[in-house]
Amino acid sequence: MTADPRLARLAPRVDTPPNPPPPPPPAEYSSDVQPVGGFDGASDAQDARYSQGNGTQDDGGFKLKFCTVCASNQNRSMEAHLRLSQANYPVISFGTGSLVRLPGPTITQPNVYAFNTTSYDSMYKELDSKDPRLYRANGLLNMLERNRGVKWGPERWQDWRIGAPRLGNQRQKDKGSVGVEGGVVDVVITCEERCWDAVVDDLTNRGSPLNRPVHIINVDIKDNHEEALVGGRAILELADLLNEAARQERESKGTDGWHDGTSASRSGFDERVPEILADWQGRWPNLPALWTIAWF
Amino acid sequence: MSATVQQQSPSSSVGDQLAQLDAARNLVLGDAAYYPQIVQGILPIIGATARHELRRWGAEFLAETFASPILAMNTKESLSLIVLDTLLAMLVLEEEKEMETGVLKSVVQFAASVYPLVFRHTITNPNDAATWEKMNAIKTRILRLWDTAAPGVRICCMKFAQKVIQVQTPGTIADPRRPDQNEISLALVPRNHPLIPPPNLEAQASGLLDRLLNIFQENTSDAVLVNATLNCLGVLIKTRPSVSNKILNSVLNFNPLKLANSPMTAKIKIMVKSMERSTRALLLNANKRNPTGPLAGRIQQHLDRLMQSRMDIFDEGSRKRVLPSEPTDGLDPSKRLRLGTDIHGTPTPPLRLPPIPPLPMGPISFAQLFTLTADEELRSFDGIRTRYTALSQEQRMLEPSSLQGFDDDDDDYEPDFQPAEDDEQILNKLDNVTPGDGHDQEPEVALGPFKLPPPSPFSGEELEDISQGTVIRIFEFMNSLDEPSPAKRQKTGINRLAASNYDRDSWITVIARLATRTSTGLETDQDRIETEDGDVTERRRVTIGNKIRESLYVYVLEDFRKRIDIAIGWLTEEWYNERMQMKAGGDAIPRYEKWAIKVLDGILPYLDAKDNRVFTRYLSELPDLSKELLERVKTLCLDPERVQLVITSLQ
Repeated sequence: MTADPRLARLAPRVDTPPNPPPPPPPAEYSSDVQPVGGFDGASDAQDARYSQGNGTQDDGGFKLKFCTVCASNQNRSMEAHLRLSQANYPVISFGTGSLVRLPGPTITQPNVYAFNTTSYDSMYKELDSKDPRLYRANGLLNMLERNRGVKWGPERWQDWRIGAPRLGNQRQKDKGSVGVEGGVVDVVITCEERCWDAVVDDLTNRGSPLNRPVHIINVDIKDNHEEALVGGRAILELADLLNEAARQERESKGTDGWHDGTSASRSGFDERVPEILADWQGRWPNLPALWTIAWF
Repeated sequence: MSATVQQQSPSSSVGDQLAQLDAARNLVLGDAAYYPQIVQGILPIIGATARHELRRWGAEFLAETFASPILAMNTKESLSLIVLDTLLAMLVLEEEKEMETGVLKSVVQFAASVYPLVFRHTITNPNDAATWEKMNAIKTRILRLWDTAAPGVRICCMKFAQKVIQVQTPGTIADPRRPDQNEISLALVPRNHPLIPPPNLEAQASGLLDRLLNIFQENTSDAVLVNATLNCLGVLIKTRPSVSNKILNSVLNFNPLKLANSPMTAKIKIMVKSMERSTRALLLNANKRNPTGPLAGRIQQHLDRLMQSRMDIFDEGSRKRVLPSEPTDGLDPSKRLRLGTDIHGTPTPPLRLPPIPPLPMGPISFAQLFTLTADEELRSFDGIRTRYTALSQEQRMLEPSSLQGFDDDDDDYEPDFQPAEDDEQILNKLDNVTPGDGHDQEPEVALGPFKLPPPSPFSGEELEDISQGTVIRIFEFMNSLDEPSPAKRQKTGINRLAASNYDRDSWITVIARLATRTSTGLETDQDRIETEDGDVTERRRVTIGNKIRESLYVYVLEDFRKRIDIAIGWLTEEWYNERMQMKAGGDAIPRYEKWAIKVLDGILPYLDAKDNRVFTRYLSELPDLSKELLERVKTLCLDPERVQLVITSLQ
C-alpha cells in the first residue's frame, strides 16, 4: 500500500500544515509533458510524483473534473485523457460504441474486443503476436502502449455507474484518478457528434437521479493519430479556460462587487461556458464545437 | 474530528481539518456502511458557523452522499431526517449572507436529492408534521431563489422544481404489494393524508411545471437555462404520462433558432446551435421511446423543420471554414499500401522491385539493352536506368529469397521516378535476353511467372450479370456510409474536389459520374477492350450506365425530399456530359432530358402543397428546362391544391 495515492496526497499536508499553499511550480508542469510513448516501467515513479503534485495543487488551485469520450476509448479520448492527466486534472474516459473496434489487416477484418473486460495490455500482446510489423506500422501498437500506461482498459459510457465510487488498487493506478474517486465529473468532452448524441441521450434515459449539472461539450476530432494529438492539445486548452472560469467563480466569494451585484462580477462558471467556447472556437476553427448542459 | 478543533484555531487548522474530512470521505467511498456515522460526525464541523471552506466541503459532501447510488434508499431516508436542520441553516446563510455560488449550487442539489426521501418518510409517518414543515420551508426558499439567483444556482433550483414535480405527480405503480420498491411519486400517497393531501400537491406540481415550461415562451436568450431545462424533462416525459403531452407540446412550440435573428456572434452561434441540438435530442429521445404516441407525427415534422432551418441559418457560416478535407480513416487504403514499404525500412524508393524476371548471369551492357529499342526517350534514360538495374541486381544478390515472398498487391507498385510504359518495355526486352546458367538464381524464382494468362473474355450475359452485381454493390456500400450531417458539411469553395470526403455525398458524386461518364471514358481506351467488337461493347456499356441511372433514380425517389440535391447533382452531370460529347462531335444520346422528365414524373404524384421548397429547387437548379418538362409542370395545375405550389415555383 505504499503506492496508495490517497496516502501520498495526504502526507505532505499533514506533515507541514502551517506552510501557505505554494503555487504549483511551473517546472513540474513542463516535466509532466513527456513525449508520447515510453510510459511503461516509469509509471510507478510517475504516479507517485504525480500524486504529490496534485496534493499541492489541491491546496492552491481548484480543478474541474473531466471525462473524455470517443467511440472506442482508444485514440482520441485516450490522447485527451493523457493530456489532461499530465496537467493534473482529475480525468476519466469512456467509449460509446458497442464494442472496441481496431483496424485489422483489411477493412472487413477489424480486431474487436469487449469493453470493460479487456485490458490495453492484453490487446497489445495479442496484436503484437499477430502481426507486429503491420500493427507497428499503422500505429496501433504505439497507441496501445500509450494507453496501457494511462489506464487499465477501455470503459463503456453506457455501463458507467455514475456516482459510484471509483476506488480500488486498479483504479488508483489510472492516470488522472485522483479527484474523481466520487465517480462524477463536471465536464464531459466528446470527440465526435455521434458520441455527443449518445451521451446526451443516455443521460436523458437515466433520468438525472443525481441532480448534478454537467456540461457536455463535443470537440469534433477526426479519428487518426495526428488529429488526436492536435485535438488533445485543443482540449487541454479548453480545459484550462474552463477551469480558470470555475476557479474564479469559486474565489469570487468575499469580493466587494458581489453583494452589489453588478452582472459582470456575478456571472458564474456555468453561464460563461458558451462564451469561453466561442472564444476557444475562434482559435480552433477546424474542431467544430457543440455544447449543452445536462444532468447526472 | 470534533467541533472544538475548528473553534480553537480557525485559520491554521482549516487545511488540517479538510485533510481529515477528505480522509473521512475516502473511508465512506470505500465502504458505504460508514455513512451514518460519518454524516453525523461532520454535521457540527460544517455547520453555519464554520469557515466557508468547511461549509463548502460539507455542502459538496452532503450533495454527493444523498446522490450516491451505492447508499441504500432506507439509509438515505433516515439520514435525511438528521440533516434537514443543517440544510435549512446552510440555505438561509448562503442566501442571505454569503451568496457563494458554488456552495449554494451544492446545497440546492443536496435539497433536490433529499426532497423525495422526506416525502417518502412523510407518507409513512403522517404525524411527523415538524419534518414536513422544515422541508416545506426549504422548498419555499429554493423556489424563491429560482428567480433571483445567479444562473448557475438557478439551474439547480430548476432541477429541484423538476424533482418536486416528479414526486408530486402520480407515477405508475409497478407492484402495489411492495410499496418500497416503487418509485417515489404521488401515487403512493393515500387520498386522506393529513400532511400531504394529494390534490393540493398535484396542483402545486402543475403550477411548478407551468413555471418550468415558461422558459420556452419567454423570449429568452439564456442557453444555459434552456438547455438545463430541456435536459431534465426527459424523465418526466417518460415516467409521468399525465404531464408528458403538456411538456412535449410546450417543447414543440419552442423555437430554439429564434435567437438567430439577432446578429450572429460566435457566442450566439454556439448558444443557438446548442439549444437546437438539445431540443432535437429530447424530441428524438421521446419519439424513440414512444414511436406510436399521439404526438409522434408532429414531433417528426418539427424535427424535419428544425433541421431545414438550421441548415439555412448555418449554411453561410460554415462556408467560411475552408479546409480541404482529406481521407482520415485509420483504414485508409492509401496508407495501407504504403505499409509494405515502411516496414522494410528501405532508404529509397528505387529499392522496391517491380516483378522482373531474373537477369542472366554475367554483365549486361546497357548499350546492348538500350540499342534494342528505337525509343529516343529510353535512350536518354541511362543515368537512372543504370542505378535502377544496379540496385536491382544488388538487391537480388543480397536477398535471393525476397522475391519468393512477393505478394500480389505489390504488382501495382510503380516506382515514382519512371513512367509505366518504359518499365514495360524494359521488361519485354529482358524477356528476350536469353538467360544464362545463372548460379545465383533460385529455381523457384525462375519458374515464378510474372505474367498471368490473360483472363478469358466475358460473355455478354456474364458481363451483364457482373455489372449488375457491381451496381448493387456500389449502392449497398453507399447505404453503409454515414449519412452526412448537414451541419458538418463544409463548403470548401473553389478548392472543392468532387469526392474529397469519405461519406455518402462523395460516393453519390462518384456514382453519378460513373453513370454519366463511363462510356466516354472507355471509348478512348480502345486497346483494353480489343477482344470485343466495338459496336457491341458500346451498347453494353450504355446499358451499364443506364443500370446505374436506374438505381440512382430509385434511390432518389425513395426519399425525394431529402435527396433532391442528389438528383440535381446527377442531372447536372448528365447535362454536362452531353454537352461535352456534343462538343467533341459525338452524337450524344439525349439522356439528360429523358431522366430529368423521369425524375419529375416520379415525384409529381407525391408532391403536396408543402413541398414548394423541394419543387422550386428542382426546377430552378436544373441546368436546362425543356418545353416538355414545363408541360409536365402544367399538368400539376390541374389540381387546385397545388396551383399555388406551381406558381411560386415558376416565379
